[in-house]
Amino acid sequence: MNDNHTSDSDMPKVDNPTKKMDDLQYRRSIYADPTSQDDDIIAAQNADPAKKQLAHELCLFDEKLKQAMNVPVPEDLYNKLLLRQTLASHQQEKRKSRVHLALAASVAIIAGLVVNYLQFSNSYTNLGDYALAHVYHEENEFYNDDNNRVSLTSLNKKMTTFNASFSGSLGELISADYCRFDGMKSLHLVFKGLTDTVAIFVVPKEEHLAFTKKFSDNKLQGESLGFKQANIIIVADKNESLALWQRNINEKISWSNK
Amino acid sequence: MKKFGNKKTPPQVLNTEPSKNSSSMATKQVRYEALVKALHGDLYRYAYWLTHEKQVAEDLVQETFLRAWRALDSLKDEKAAKSWLITILRRENARRFERKRFDMSEYEEASIMDTKSTTTEQVIENQWLRDKIAQLPPEYSEPLVLQVLGGYSGEDIANMLNLNKNTVMTRLFRARNQLKDALEKEPEKMRFLHE
Repeated sequence: MNDNHTSDSDMPKVDNPTKKMDDLQYRRSIYADPTSQDDDIIAAQNADPAKKQLAHELCLFDEKLKQAMNVPVPEDLYNKLLLRQTLASHQQEKRKSRVHLALAASVAIIAGLVVNYLQFSNSYTNLGDYALAHVYHEENEFYNDDNNRVSLTSLNKKMTTFNASFSGSLGELISADYCRFDGMKSLHLVFKGLTDTVAIFVVPKEEHLAFTKKFSDNKLQGESLGFKQANIIIVADKNESLALWQRNINEKISWSNK
Repeated sequence: MKKFGNKKTPPQVLNTEPSKNSSSMATKQVRYEALVKALHGDLYRYAYWLTHEKQVAEDLVQETFLRAWRALDSLKDEKAAKSWLITILRRENARRFERKRFDMSEYEEASIMDTKSTTTEQVIENQWLRDKIAQLPPEYSEPLVLQVLGGYSGEDIANMLNLNKNTVMTRLFRARNQLKDALEKEPEKMRFLHE
């Protein structure tokens, strides 16, 4: 009972064979391992039949021990173990599916955001491109021979949004409406021109569209006027003198310092 | 949800799944089942002699195999499986003691009846021996169980228990010596054991 490691040294060194084993040494070795086939054990057994008998007895005793130790294993243990593992990996899978679901949800949300972003934001990088696109988009909405006229008063009312007003008429104004100019609230004016309508945009200063002084394509031409508070963009066909319109605007517009 | 869980299939159908991931899962499953089948008995008996309680032994084996499942990839040599599992089981048992220290000197395990034994005499003899083995100090009974039941050499046991071989041999000697002593104190049992 009082086994501690200091007393372990009183053990004969089984794997360090001595020439002849005394009885005590033999007894200790064979008790520790009745089936030992060490040379000195075998030699001792051959020299002394009583020692052989002791080994034999201990082997029988071991058999009895083994029988006693061989406690019955619960019959359902095997199935329980498999079930337990199946459940455990199922839990794991469920966690994984939840992760997958969360991933899918994230992807959906991001996709939604991207669509939103693309729809409502700048697919154009400069004012000119956007202005041209805008005019083409509304090409069939306004006709040069439209009889509709907007008064200077109602135009100036709308211009208050930009803290600006016109001192006199720029020409025959067919339409004046707020519109979305690449996501920015702007004023879209349509004037009667020489051969076709002239579009004038009053656009808040924004950084995401590069300012383009002059732009054109094979049909339309445009110019931008940069004021402190806003940009004014003129788009018309090539028969129109943009310089004239520009001068006209410069003369008649006034900005209030609000 | 289903389209994301590409591996969620019962083990029987797994083999028909062509994806690489699934087939490695199937291999793992097969390995695990083989391991459980071959070694759960040995593990249970070992756990029983470690804990002296059937239910605790069963729980311990379950915990052990669950951990084994999770760590199965780290088992490279199938021949080492048993001692690997025993190591896990011993660790689990130690953890159990950290969780809850309970009195291990008093226990009654008279309920175990070996149904495989044919005669009543053998049943009584086994029961008597079991009580005696259970009364050995655990540091003696553990190497004895590993040697007699597990068939491990002194060296193997020394490695498994993290002891030097001479210590193991001394404990084995003392274990048998104490059992023999107990036997000699009750001469009427000698009849069973020496026939």
